[in-house]
Amino acid sequence: MKKLLTKELKLFAAPLTYFFIAFALMTLLPGYPILCGAFFVCLGIFKSFQTGRETNDILYTVLLPIKKSDAVKARFIFVAFIELVSFAVMTVLTVVRMTVLSDAAPYVQNALMSANPVFLAFTLLIFAMFNLIFVRGYFRTAYATGKPFIVFIVIAFVIIGIAEALHHVPGLAFVNAISGEGMAANYIILAIGAIMYALITLLAFKASCKSFETVDL
Amino acid sequence: MDCVLQVENLCKEYPKFKLENVSFSIEKGSIMGFIGRNGAGKSTTLKSILNLVHPSAGEIRFFGLDLKEHEDEIKRRIGFAGGAVDYYKRKKISSIVAVTKSFYDTWDDQAYTKYMKLFALDESKTPGELSEGMKVKLNLVLALSHGAELLILDEPTSGLDPVSREELLEVFEYLADKGISILFSTHITSDLDKCADTITYIKEGKVIASENKQAFLDRCRDAGWGNNIEEIMVHFEKRSIYEKAID
Repeated sequence: MKKLLTKELKLFAAPLTYFFIAFALMTLLPGYPILCGAFFVCLGIFKSFQTGRETNDILYTVLLPIKKSDAVKARFIFVAFIELVSFAVMTVLTVVRMTVLSDAAPYVQNALMSANPVFLAFTLLIFAMFNLIFVRGYFRTAYATGKPFIVFIVIAFVIIGIAEALHHVPGLAFVNAISGEGMAANYIILAIGAIMYALITLLAFKASCKSFETVDL
Repeated sequence: MDCVLQVENLCKEYPKFKLENVSFSIEKGSIMGFIGRNGAGKSTTLKSILNLVHPSAGEIRFFGLDLKEHEDEIKRRIGFAGGAVDYYKRKKISSIVAVTKSFYDTWDDQAYTKYMKLFALDESKTPGELSEGMKVKLNLVLALSHGAELLILDEPTSGLDPVSREELLEVFEYLADKGISILFSTHITSDLDKCADTITYIKEGKVIASENKQAFLDRCRDAGWGNNIEEIMVHFEKRSIYEKAID
């Protein structure tokens, strides 16, 4: 698996995928729908799949002395690696916004979503949807990237819209809290987000292995 | 002689095309020419025996091992190249090789250096900077450096100029002399006149001949079907414009 991961990082990955991790910095933008950062990280990963198709990566990979399921596993680990590095950056910046910058005027007057545990939970949900809709969709054909990515775009922006609107719903203001009473619920939502990310990604991986075994290249 | 590849009753169905009971075998150190018109089923057969497409029926055995059960081991012992195989055009060859070699415990750096020199390849270049013939040679180097005993080549001479083709055919003969078996598909029949030991001829998804080249030529000559492979193929395949018009 280590060899396959090296292959993913050195041959499959487009440089843009690594650069787009920087969109995690959008967490610091005041007055901006910061969940878009998660979407842009996924866009960066999508670029690797596109260039992978141009460079015949999948044919090179399956001709190596490996199991096809290992090729799928390596791809999922690569995707999760990029997502979790971005998530780690977002987490650090969220902590910064919740502590050091908690009284900064641009964040106090922010009408949009705050950087808090619920924001991180929604970030994980967007990543999970990317894995389920796009990565799993790609492995149906090991070729088509357009359709699954368009479906993902729609789903991602529905999630962003819901997440941004949620704290305006009466009784749900706590989802935007950065301190005080609502924090316990915030952390529970983050835990649910983490569990959903793990389960959905596992489900997407298993379904991808199954379809990749039967796809004609 | 030892059999390096046995294909028995291979079938694959597509909506508008099917392979029907394709069978042939290759002996160690021999060169088999796999011929047929464009669309006859050559690439589908080669992809099936590499498990890139999934046959509907049939058995494929490499070195006496079943492909489905021993895919990893078999892939360690074979190499694949073709005109259409073109990986990571913008990566340096040295970067591709560094990753590729890690997958083969049989990788031989000395053999790699030897074949790179023999084929005049420069590892600081990218595949995108190579000519079509050099790309095929690069794939051959990768296969030979991990000690491939059988090379499966899909139309490796297509798109090459006559000199490059001649050079490549010479390489095939050199490798066969070293005990490496080669299965190569082509529709350029003059390639086979020069270097093939055996011929497998596929027409509309069915094998119509699989035998020693000389025996095939003699049989066809006696039957009045032609004096060389090109004439024989034309005899079997050509339909006049008038015949097509009736359809």
